[in-house]
Amino acid sequence: MAFHKVNVTINGEREQVLVPSNMTLMRMLRESVALTGTKNGCSAGECGACTVLLNGEPVNSCMVLAVECEGAEITTVEGLAGENQLHPIQEALIREGGVQCGFCTPGILISAHALLQRSPNPSDDEIREALVGNLCRCTGYVRIIESVKEAARRR
Amino acid sequence: MTIDAHPALPEFEYVQPPTLSEASGFLASHSAEARPFLGGTDVLVRMRDGFLTPKFLVDVKKLDGTSSLRFDPQAGLTVGAGVNMNRVIAAPEVRAHYPLLAEACQSVASYQLRNRATIVGNICNASPAGDTIGACLVLNGVLHIHGVDGSREEPLATFFLGPGRTTLRAGDVVTAIHLPLPPKGCAGRYLKLGRNKLSDLSIVAVTALGYPDPDLISRYRFRLALASVAPVPLIPAQAEAYLANQSITPDSIHEAAHLAAEACTPIDDVRGGARYRKAMVRNLSAKALNEIWERLR
Amino acid sequence: MARTAAQDVPSPIGESKPRKDAREKVTGAAIFADDLQFGNALLHARIKRSSHPHALIRRIDAAKARALPGVKAVVTGEDFPGYIGLYLQDRFIFCRERVRYVGDPVAGVAAISEEIAQKALDLIEVEYEILEPVLDPEFGASPSAPLIHPDLGKYVVANFILPEPGTNISNHFKIRKGDVDGAWQKCTAIIERKYQIPHIQHVPIEPHVAIAQVDESGKVTLWGSSQSPFAQRNLIAQSMGISQSDMRVIAPYVGGGFGSKAGVSMESLVVAIATKTKGHPVKLLLTREEEFFTAFVRQALVAYFKMGCDESGRLLAMEHRFYWGGGAYTEYGVNVTRASGYSSSGPYEVPNVKTDSYCVYTNHPVGGPMRGFGMPEMHAGLEQCIDELARKIGMDPVAFRRLNCLKTGSTLVTGSKMHPTGLPECVERVAEAIGWGRKAPPSGPNKRRGKGIALMWKAPAMPPNAGSSAWVELAEDGTVTVGVGGQELGQGIFTVAAQMAAAALGVPYESVRIATPVDTRYSPYEWQTVASRLTWSYGNAVMRAAKDARRQILETVAEDWGEPIEDLDIVNGVVVSYKTERETPLKNLAIYGLPKPGDQGWRGGPVIGRGNFMPTYVTGLDLETGQGERAVVHYTTGAQAVELEVDLDTGRIEIVKGVSAFDVGKAINPEMVKAQMEGGFVQGMSSALFEIMQMKDGVLQNPSFVDYRIATSSDVPKDLQAYIVEVPQDDGPWGARGIGEHSMVPTIPAIANAIYDAVGVRFEGPPFTAERVFLAMLEAGIVK
Repeated sequence: MAFHKVNVTINGEREQVLVPSNMTLMRMLRESVALTGTKNGCSAGECGACTVLLNGEPVNSCMVLAVECEGAEITTVEGLAGENQLHPIQEALIREGGVQCGFCTPGILISAHALLQRSPNPSDDEIREALVGNLCRCTGYVRIIESVKEAARRR
Repeated sequence: MTIDAHPALPEFEYVQPPTLSEASGFLASHSAEARPFLGGTDVLVRMRDGFLTPKFLVDVKKLDGTSSLRFDPQAGLTVGAGVNMNRVIAAPEVRAHYPLLAEACQSVASYQLRNRATIVGNICNASPAGDTIGACLVLNGVLHIHGVDGSREEPLATFFLGPGRTTLRAGDVVTAIHLPLPPKGCAGRYLKLGRNKLSDLSIVAVTALGYPDPDLISRYRFRLALASVAPVPLIPAQAEAYLANQSITPDSIHEAAHLAAEACTPIDDVRGGARYRKAMVRNLSAKALNEIWERLR
Repeated sequence: MARTAAQDVPSPIGESKPRKDAREKVTGAAIFADDLQFGNALLHARIKRSSHPHALIRRIDAAKARALPGVKAVVTGEDFPGYIGLYLQDRFIFCRERVRYVGDPVAGVAAISEEIAQKALDLIEVEYEILEPVLDPEFGASPSAPLIHPDLGKYVVANFILPEPGTNISNHFKIRKGDVDGAWQKCTAIIERKYQIPHIQHVPIEPHVAIAQVDESGKVTLWGSSQSPFAQRNLIAQSMGISQSDMRVIAPYVGGGFGSKAGVSMESLVVAIATKTKGHPVKLLLTREEEFFTAFVRQALVAYFKMGCDESGRLLAMEHRFYWGGGAYTEYGVNVTRASGYSSSGPYEVPNVKTDSYCVYTNHPVGGPMRGFGMPEMHAGLEQCIDELARKIGMDPVAFRRLNCLKTGSTLVTGSKMHPTGLPECVERVAEAIGWGRKAPPSGPNKRRGKGIALMWKAPAMPPNAGSSAWVELAEDGTVTVGVGGQELGQGIFTVAAQMAAAALGVPYESVRIATPVDTRYSPYEWQTVASRLTWSYGNAVMRAAKDARRQILETVAEDWGEPIEDLDIVNGVVVSYKTERETPLKNLAIYGLPKPGDQGWRGGPVIGRGNFMPTYVTGLDLETGQGERAVVHYTTGAQAVELEVDLDTGRIEIVKGVSAFDVGKAINPEMVKAQMEGGFVQGMSSALFEIMQMKDGVLQNPSFVDYRIATSSDVPKDLQAYIVEVPQDDGPWGARGIGEHSMVPTIPAIANAIYDAVGVRFEGPPFTAERVFLAMLEAGIVK
């Protein structure tokens, strides 16, 4: 099986990674560049724990081949916080109690961040729809939805 | 799905031919072992489950013109194969002229998956549950295909042969779906019944489109397409014909919905039972037709 | 500092302090077991599993697998003869002679990559002789069923579990209280019903994962996503003939447990394999499909209920039979049988009760501990019967519960008395919050609205001597580190532990850290993180440890200042005298103590506090009657009410409003308690509306998120309310008792009762899918 040299920018840093054809973006992040914030919940595009931004748009990284990411810009949960401060959505999630076990959290943050970029003042229904591809088993989503509203208010 | 679903994708070669001809040529010459893919949201899942074992995955997303979405005020809408569903939903031309298509796309899975899923991919996957297929059928969609013999067009109406089976031949690459201008004054509705409120595959789904047609006794033509209730996306022709020949009333809509239910041949599967599916075709068809009728009259 | 000024410093108890682990989790820095880095030495394991629900293993040939380049070890049950199990040792690490469910591990491979290990599985040949499977617990309990565990009589078993050798019944718990037969005649109304609860699963978003390494002296290190590091050490060590202290378990954050990561399941596989890989660590990460097929499931239940009341609505008698579908191995699930038995009256005072609760082997996946431990399954039917009985006697369902529910001092089904309880207050709270008695109009012409209520009770189900321990240590800068053996599953124990230590010691919450990860080499012993027991049990231990540390500090200072210890206090990290108003920050003496005057030496030294807690008063229960002085440590009680709409066109249920009230004794962190109520409600709702493991001939038909549906953000009710009731637990830290499981217990029957209120139909069991609801309405003539 062939290996491909892939040039990507991850959280603002340029990387060149050698990946086999069958490696997903999720595995490349977790294994090749050891960014383990992105989680493997199902490897089937269902749970959203692996959500990252690919050229600014959230995708299930388990459903994207690493080799397809040549020239792409990728943002993972590790890239959300600023130099000295957390992203508003991270702060909101802490404040509103939207974190329990934390496994869905990275994917939720990416999806929520992307939502607020495209819709700075989302309605309750918009938030639910934007997060429907991020499964959470602990919180019942209540405080996650509240966190997104809070982050929108504070922007 | 077996108990031995793999942790990772099986081995394969990723190939990205630079031109359409080279893509068709590669696919034709490796027909048993090569498979084209776009968003990969169906193909990659089935590969990890062991249902598909292509030696080559041919990326056809970036080929000539497949990334464009174009609206022509005479010819209609052409959605390139590589255009993801979120792009379709957000496109002003789609919102203005093909809201039914946007509605169908919006119902698919999740925002993340819609950033990868494509209408052409949905069509080529040829699942009777495909959410966007109904809209493309009732809007008289035409596929643009590039094969070893060059380019051709094929109406969507005759494209599906069975679950996962289409008229595509070795070497074929679908480059776009074209929807002619919708009929003047039309109204459409996509009603999807899943287990969760959002994000599920359909247990049953109804696509309905209605528009003024003075040549008909009813003076309005209705188009219907049903998902997940037959081996292919189903057009209940008898229901459509019935509505063409009556005045449109709650009773005639009710009867049409009943005919639509009679036309389908659903199965019992893990998602739902046949009896329930038939009843839902009837109820959802009636609901969709009534809603459209309210907007038309 | 004046004593009154000191009292102005708010105690962290009862404050909704921010989580200790939140920042790590939102930045992606939090380490879960699959994030641990092991370098090139790491091998990858894959497991060969049975594809038959019940069969004898005739032959295993792994020669070709062993010969595959990159394969470092292949093991089978032949290599590991020891039984393993928590309450009943009925399981081998790898199957020997017999497979008992689809997914039962038959062989294990370690290779240099997951791909090679996966390829090796295909090269392992297994020959089976197929046996007739048992797929239903009632059949399994009958004399004509084939035996799944012919050696049941030889298994090592805890003395409170009562198997019936020569049958598939691995536990039979009885309640014989009063005179049930005589009581029926006095009943004005009687209800008899059968309920069937299917298998469901925990579905944590993080799949099971474990890594094991065995060094050249045979010492084991196990890393894993684990609720029970100490129990895993104990059970695996016992099974493999290792000394417990030669096995070390290191457990980072858990990405959701709900019971699935308690006891031992897949962890033993990887330890076993690692004994053959010459010191290389071996990792096993379950695929999501493997999770569905092979991880613990919730027991299935076939339940027969009978209950009766007099003309005033007072419950007189109950007679129940529970056939628990325990699955292929019931080493853990046997206790569900017992717990449901001693709780079988529900949270009600009933003078005459006869219960037979059977744990039955079936050739289905392994029933393990799942949130509620038998209570959701049992209340699902019981609380519907209560509703039906109330209506039969012409009484309002809330009024009926008000009359019959447990109050302080009520006599319980096991014969003891109910401790102080806020259950009546919980009933009032939810009835009011849901607007009981007022009917709201439906939102459309084809919708019907209904309201339903259900109560619950649950005690921590555990051995009578399940213990906790804690240590508290200070550093030079005055910060406090707390040792904990229990696990952060997301429920918030690390935060609450810090709050309790801070309060008991007298330091700011912010200055307390938790010693993570939990590591059995250094962390204090904790039985398991299950049973909603940690806040109460470990809370007592950490309170004692903090007080021990406090005593050491104050003794040193008292000596140094020549003051009586009673005049001293620690407030906000400062030792103060109320008498002389002297003060000194803790850090001044935390490590080095205080110098004696005149250069005459030092007093004090490194402060280290220790504490433990183990209930001492749990008595046994009579084997025939189930009566005893004190069956359990305590009960958490509560109520939920639901308002919903039924869509007549589709049968879809939409929960409009859900309200919960639970008596938690004392909410150490109120917002986190409410978060448990919310999360539990949604998980309960999900189990009511969507979840079912569809089994056909012993094979799971829906082993993925595609077809095992769980609640998404779009399914959550817009109005979800949580109320905290606080009637203190006499031996709880600050009066606290647990909440983690309880919020999932009454949700199914609350929803079922609301559906009945809306459209007048009931079901033999959940899930109340749109299809089932619609077809039931069709049958009943409510829709066409």
